[in-house]
Amino acid sequence: MAEGPRRRLLLLITLLGGCVLLTVVQLVKVQVIDHQFYAKWAEEQRVRAVRMDQPPRGVIRDRDGRVLAGNGVRYAVEAAPAYVSRKEDAAEQLASVLHLPASHLCAELSKRDATGDFRTWIRIASSVSKEVGEQIADLDINGVTIKPLWRRVYPEGTLASHALGFSTAETGYYGVEGFYDTMLQPEPVEWVGPVDVESVPIPWEPIAGEFPRRGVDLELTLDRTIQALVEDELRHAIAMYQAEGGTIIVMEPETFGILSLASVPSYDPEDYAQFADQDPSRFEDPAVSKQYEPGSVFKIVTVAAALDAGIVTPNSVYHDEGWIEVGGQAIHNSMGKVYGDKSVTDILVKSLNVGSAWLSTKMGSELFYDYVRDFGFGELTHVDLAGEVAGQLWLPEDVEHWHPSNLGTNAFGQGIAVTPLQMVTSMATVANDGARLRPHIVGRRNASDGAISDFHPVFEEQVISPETAQMITDILVRVVQEGATEAQVEGYRVAGKTGTAQIPIPGGYAPEGTIATFVGYGPVPDPAVVVLVKLDRPQSSEWASRTAAPTFARLMSQLFTVLGIPPDRDHVLAEVGP
Amino acid sequence: MSQFLDWATHGVKRGRLEFRSRPGALLSTVVAVLVLVAAIYLALVSRTAAQGRHIEQLQTEIFRLQRENEQLTVVIAEVSAIPELMERASVMGFAPAQQVEYVGHSE
Repeated sequence: MAEGPRRRLLLLITLLGGCVLLTVVQLVKVQVIDHQFYAKWAEEQRVRAVRMDQPPRGVIRDRDGRVLAGNGVRYAVEAAPAYVSRKEDAAEQLASVLHLPASHLCAELSKRDATGDFRTWIRIASSVSKEVGEQIADLDINGVTIKPLWRRVYPEGTLASHALGFSTAETGYYGVEGFYDTMLQPEPVEWVGPVDVESVPIPWEPIAGEFPRRGVDLELTLDRTIQALVEDELRHAIAMYQAEGGTIIVMEPETFGILSLASVPSYDPEDYAQFADQDPSRFEDPAVSKQYEPGSVFKIVTVAAALDAGIVTPNSVYHDEGWIEVGGQAIHNSMGKVYGDKSVTDILVKSLNVGSAWLSTKMGSELFYDYVRDFGFGELTHVDLAGEVAGQLWLPEDVEHWHPSNLGTNAFGQGIAVTPLQMVTSMATVANDGARLRPHIVGRRNASDGAISDFHPVFEEQVISPETAQMITDILVRVVQEGATEAQVEGYRVAGKTGTAQIPIPGGYAPEGTIATFVGYGPVPDPAVVVLVKLDRPQSSEWASRTAAPTFARLMSQLFTVLGIPPDRDHVLAEVGP
Repeated sequence: MSQFLDWATHGVKRGRLEFRSRPGALLSTVVAVLVLVAAIYLALVSRTAAQGRHIEQLQTEIFRLQRENEQLTVVIAEVSAIPELMERASVMGFAPAQQVEYVGHSE
C-alpha cells in the first residue's frame, strides 16, 4: 500500500479506535461502576405502585338473603387542565351535565399555579351519581376523567340501624359494620410496574398477582320482616304510652341468634353525618351499649338460683311482713303491702321484693352472686356487635362499692345495672332448659373465594338444671295468667315477668319516671322466641304491666303469625285484671 | 463530507472484503444468531404486551361489571324494601291480616 493511504487509514483507525474506547469506557462507567445509581434513577421514573380499582365492601344480608347494607356506585369527576385543550367548550359540556355554572368550571380549568403552569389535577365534583358519571364519560373530553367510588347504601332506610351501624367511605362504625369492619373491608391490591407519563400502567407484562378481593359478605340471624314488625310495634308503643324511647329484642332460644334488635330513637345510617356532630350518642345501641337497673324482672334470676341450689321449692312458704332488713337497710314491697304467708311461686306471681330479699339472704352472698354471674351479668355477653358494655355488678370483694344491703336489693333488680341484651340472654337461658349460649347476630360468612363459614352456637354455661328451668317456666306462665295478665296472647301460652324500675340518679332515685320492662317467651312448652320490651319513662302509666306487657302481647301475637305457629286451641285466656 | 470519506477510504476501495477465513464465518454466524434471538425476543415482548393490554382490558371490564352488579343488587333491594312493598300492597288493595285462621288437615 502506498504511504499516503496507509497513513490516512492508520489515522482513521486511531480516531475510530479512540471513539470506541471512549464509548466503551463510558459504557463501563454507566453500566458497571454507576449501574445501581442509574438503574434506580430509571426505575424511579418509569416504575410506579399503582393501586388497582377498589372492590366493594362486603354486603350485609338478613337471614333470608335480603340486602340490608349494599354498595352503590358514585363517581368523582376530575381533570388535568393542561390536557383540556378547548376549555370553554369543555366547561359548557360539563356544566350541562353537572348543572354548575359554565363560567365557574371554565375558571377552574384555566387557573394556573405559582409557576404559571396549569394545575396538574383538579377535582370538579367529588361525588356524582352513576348516571351523571356515565354521561360525562360519554362526552369523551380530553383531560377529564371519572373515578368510580363506592358508597354504602342501606336499602331499607332506618331499619335495624343500631344493629347494622354505618360505614364511611373506608371504615365501619357501631353495630355489625363496626364489629366486622376488618372482615367487611375489601382487600386492596397494589400493582408495581412500568407506567407512562400519565401514570397509566404499560402492559409490558400481564398484571400479575392477585385480583383485588371484595370484603366478606355477612348473613345475619336478623329477620327483615320481624325487624320491621318490631320497629313498627316499638314506635306504636312509644307513641301510645308517651315514652321517651325504648328497646325491643327478639331472640331464638334454641340458638341465641338475634332475630330483631330495635331501639328508638334511631338514625338513618346513610345520613350519619347529620348526627355525628349534634348527637353522636344516638349511634350507640341501647340494647348493648347502655345499662339500666332492671327492677323486678331480675327476680327470675333470684328465684331460679334458689330453686336450682335446692334452698327452696316452688311451694316453700315464708312469712311476708311487708318489709325485711338486709345489711341494716329496710326493704319494702311495692306500695308497702303486707302479704303474710306466701310461697316462692308467689314471689314471682305477685312480684314481692321482700320475698326476693329473703331468698338471696337465705342463699348467702357467695351462692347468690355465683348464679348471677353464671347467668352472664357483670360481664360481656361477647355478642358480635360493636360497643358492648358489661353492666355493673358489685361483688362482696368490691369493698369500696358493695354493701351488705346490696344482697337484698340486687335480688329484685336494684343496685345492679344490666344491658337489655344481658337480660334477654338470661331469659333465653331459662327458655333453653338452663343452658346459656353466646348471643350472636351473624349466622354465616361468605368469602369472595366462595368459602362459606356457618356460625355454630357457642355453649357458655349450664346455669340451672333443665328441671329448674321447667319449674321457672311453669311459674312464669302463672305470672302471665295471674299477675301480668295484659301480657297474655290469645290462643298461646306464654311465660314472662314485668319489671318497673326506678331510674337511679346521683344520691338516690329520680322522683319521677320509670323504666318499664317485660321479658318473656312463648309459646310454652316449645318456645320459638324470647322477647324483651323496654320502654323508657312512659307517661301514660309508670307500670310495666300497663305499658310493656301489652306491647309484648301485641308483638307476640304478630310474631306467632309471621313465624307460622298455630295457636293452642285448648289454651284459654285468663281474665285480664283491672 | 463525501470528500472526507473519499480521502479516508482512498485505496481501501480497491481491496476486496472477503470472509472466507474461519473467524469471519464464525463472526457472521454469531451475528446471525444474535439477530435471530433479538427478533424472537422482540416478537415475544410485543406478544406479551398485547396480552398484557388484553388482560388489563378484561380486568377493567370485570371492575365495570362488578360495579354494575353491585348497583343492580342495591336497586333490586331498594324496590323490594319493606316500605315499598307495603305501599305497593296497599295500592293493590291488600291490608295487614287482623285475624289469622289456621285450617287443620288430616293425613
